[in-house]
Amino acid sequence: MKAVGARLPRYDANEHVSAGTRYVDDVRIPGTLWAKALRSPHDHAEIVSIDTSAAEAMEGVHAVVTYKDVHKNIHGHIEGLGVPGDEPLLAETHVRYKGQPVAAVAADNEELAVRATEAIKVTYKELPSLLDVRKAFDGDAPQVHHWGNWYPHFEGEMDRRQIRKGDIDKAFEDADVIVQGVYRPAAIEHIPMETQVCQVVPEAGGRFVVYSATQAMYFSMGVVAAHLNWPLNKLKFVGGTTGGGFGGKVDTATETITTLLAIKSHRPVRWRWTRMEEFLCSSTRAPWHMEIADAVTKDGWILGRKMLTLHDAGAFARFSPYGVTKHAFHHTGAYTIPNLEFNGFVVYTNRIPTTAMRGFGVTSVSFATETHIERIAQTLGMDPIELRMKNATRLGDTSPNGIPYVDPSTVPVIQAISNAAGFELPAHYRTMTSAMRSGEDLPAHLVAQMGNPEDH
Amino acid sequence: MAMHRGRGIAAIEYPTGMNQNGDPSQAWIKLKMDGRVDVFAGTVDIGQGSKTVHSQIVADTLGVPMDWVTMDTSNTDSSAFCMGTFASRGTFIGGNAVRLAAEKVRSRILEIGGELLEIDPGDLEIIDGEVIAKGSPDKKIGVGDIAGAATFVKGELISGQGTALKDYATLDPETGAVTIPPHSAISYAACAVEVEVDEETGDVRVIKMSQVYDVGCAINPTMVEGQIEGGAMQGLGLGLLENCYPYYPSNDHRGGQFGSYLAPSMEDLPELECIILENPSADGPFGAKAIGEMANNAQPPAIASAIYDAVGVWVTELPITPEKVLRALEAKAAGIPESVTTGKVVRYDEALSITSHQSADAAVTFAV
Repeated sequence: MKAVGARLPRYDANEHVSAGTRYVDDVRIPGTLWAKALRSPHDHAEIVSIDTSAAEAMEGVHAVVTYKDVHKNIHGHIEGLGVPGDEPLLAETHVRYKGQPVAAVAADNEELAVRATEAIKVTYKELPSLLDVRKAFDGDAPQVHHWGNWYPHFEGEMDRRQIRKGDIDKAFEDADVIVQGVYRPAAIEHIPMETQVCQVVPEAGGRFVVYSATQAMYFSMGVVAAHLNWPLNKLKFVGGTTGGGFGGKVDTATETITTLLAIKSHRPVRWRWTRMEEFLCSSTRAPWHMEIADAVTKDGWILGRKMLTLHDAGAFARFSPYGVTKHAFHHTGAYTIPNLEFNGFVVYTNRIPTTAMRGFGVTSVSFATETHIERIAQTLGMDPIELRMKNATRLGDTSPNGIPYVDPSTVPVIQAISNAAGFELPAHYRTMTSAMRSGEDLPAHLVAQMGNPEDH
Repeated sequence: MAMHRGRGIAAIEYPTGMNQNGDPSQAWIKLKMDGRVDVFAGTVDIGQGSKTVHSQIVADTLGVPMDWVTMDTSNTDSSAFCMGTFASRGTFIGGNAVRLAAEKVRSRILEIGGELLEIDPGDLEIIDGEVIAKGSPDKKIGVGDIAGAATFVKGELISGQGTALKDYATLDPETGAVTIPPHSAISYAACAVEVEVDEETGDVRVIKMSQVYDVGCAINPTMVEGQIEGGAMQGLGLGLLENCYPYYPSNDHRGGQFGSYLAPSMEDLPELECIILENPSADGPFGAKAIGEMANNAQPPAIASAIYDAVGVWVTELPITPEKVLRALEAKAAGIPESVTTGKVVRYDEALSITSHQSADAAVTFAV
C-alpha cells in the first residue's frame, strides 16, 4: 500500500484530544522549584540600582539571578546569520519595554516565588518612549537605542533592506496612472494553548536536562549554550511535543533563565508563564507599516513599484532583519513587476519585541499587495481578476531578486478559485497557462526581465 | 438596518524553507532485527503532523508498511540536527532528510538481500516489507529476515543517515539580487470570500471561504486540509478580530486574558471549501512544496475586498473592526473622497501616510 498521498490519521490525534499526550508541564520531578521573573513596569527607563538582598534572605528562596549571573548576557538568536545581538537576557543598564525581565528567582512554591520577586528593589529613572514607527526618523524622536531607532546591520552595514530592479524612473514616467496606498496590519498574539514553559533538571556528571516546548530543539540548545559558554554535551534538550507554537516558541523565552536558576540552586526548576504573562509579556506578530506606489498603464500592466516598509520590531531585533529580507524578496506578491525600488526598515519601538509568526514577513505584504491590486483595478475601471491574470508570474519571469520562477502557479490557482467561487473569466484567461510569455502576454516592458528557468 | 453581501478574492505565493537557504536538517535510521524502522530526527511536531508525514515518506521510500516506522524526535542526544520547525520547512526539508536516510537504508537492504538471494541488487525491489526479484515474484525474502541476518550472522547494524542542505544564496546589498534561488520552492494559493456587512453596526461576518492551494504533492491530503482550514481561521482573525494594541501605536489597554482579546472561535467559522492543486516541485520529497505558513495570508485581503464590494469602503488598517467600518461609512456619507488625484497620481490613505505624521527634518520619508 502506498503511504504517500493516503489520508492517514495523525499518529497522536487521539492522545491530543483525550489528555493522553504528555507535554512539558506534565513532567513531574520531585523537589522542583518554581521560577518567576521580575519584569519592567516601564516602557523605557534607566536602571539606577538593583538590590536582591531581601529576596535572597527569604526562607524557601533558593536562587536569585540578574545579568551578573550570565556569562554572555547579550546573545543574538541569529548571530550565525549575521544579525548581531542587541537584547540582554536580563536587563542591565536600561529597560526598553514594559514586561522586560530584570531578575528571576527560584523558590519552593509559586506564591513564594512571586513574593520574592516583589522583594527585589529596583530604582528606575524613566525615559521618553517611542511607540509610533512613523516618528522614528524625526530629529527629535526619543532614542530607543544609543545607535538610533532602526537596525543598521544589513549586509554591507546598510541601514535598510533594499531592492533595486530595472529602471524605476522610466516606469514612473511611462505610467498612465500612479496608484498609492498605505497598509497597516496589526500585532497579534500567537495564543498557543500551552503557555511558555520549561523544566530544567541537574543530572549526574554536571549535565542539565532541559524539558522544552521549543519549536527548534537544537536551535534553542545553541542559544542556552551560547549564553552560558558551554559545550553542547553539557545540555540535553527533551522536547518534540509542543502545545501550539505558530512561531512564538522559536524565541527560547524560558530555557536560559531557568537553566541559570537550576545551576545556582542545584535543584530542578520549572518556569511556566501565566496566561496573563503569555498575553502581555510574550512576543507578538509585528505590526507593519507599508506604503506602495505603483506605476500602471491604462490597459492594466504594472510597470513599476516603489515601496516603503517599516517593520515595528519592538525593542530588540530578534528575527526582524530576517523577516524584512523575506518580505522584500516577496514584495511583488504572485505577480511580475519589472521595475522596483523597495526600502525596508527594522524600526525599534519601546514595545515588546516582535517575532516570527505563521507567514513571517510575507503575511503583511500579501495583505498590502492584494488590496492594492484591487484599488488599481478600481482606479482603471478594470476587472481585478483580469488585472491579476495579466500580471501573474509565469515561467521565466523573474522575482524581485532576479531569479526566474521555475514552478509558478498564480495562473492555475486563480482559474481554480474563479471556477469554485463562480467568477467569470474572459476566454483568453480561461485557457492561459503558466508557460513562458509570448504574443500579447509578452509586452515590450517585460522582455528584459525574463530569465531562463533551465538555469536553476 | 441594512445587511450587504460582498465577495472578494486574493492570490498569493509563499516560499519553502529559510530565506537565503543553508538551513540543514538531518536524520538517521536504524533497523531493528525484525526489520522495524527507527527514525531519529530533530523536527519538532508543533501540531502540524510532521511525524506522520515523515513516517509516510520513509515507508514509501523503503517499501515497508507505514506501521513499521517509528519516528523519534524526542531529544538532542539521539535525534539528529534540525534547524527547527519554522519557515514552512518541515515537510520539504525535514522530509528530504528522512528520505535521503531511507534511500541509504534501502540500498543496504537490497545489497544484503541480493547476497542472500544470490541476485544482483539492481534486479530487486522492496514491496510491502519484502525484497522481491523483479519479474520473478516467487524469489523473495522479508526485510525482517534480512535485518535478522545482518544482526545475528553478518554482524552489521543496517543504518543510514541523510542531510538536506542547500547552498547559501548571498545577496547584493544594493540591489537585493541573488545568484541562486533563495528558497526551495514556491507555493501558491487563492482565496475567495463572501461577507455580510451590517451597515448599522459595522459588523462583518464571513459567510463562505473557498480556497485553492498548490502544494506540489499532498503527502497527506487530510492534514493539508487541516492546515488550510486552521489557517483560514487564523486569517479571519487577522482580518477582522485580533489586535494586541487596540489603540496602536499606543500600548495602553492591552488584552491580558481570553475575555479581552478577540480570537476567532467556532461561531466565526464560515462554510469552508478546500481545493488542492499539485504542481510538483523539482526537489521536494515526492514533489511536495510547503503549506504551513501561507495558510493565513490570503484571507485578510480577500475580506477587505469583499467589504469594499459590499459597502464601498476600504479599510486598510487591520483588523477591520466594526468601529473602523462605521468610521469609513461616515466619511463616505460626509462626501469625503476615498482618494485624492494630483496629475496622474491617485493617492489613497493620505491620513495614514508617514508624510502626514513625521516632522520636516525626518531622515527617511516616502515620496513619489
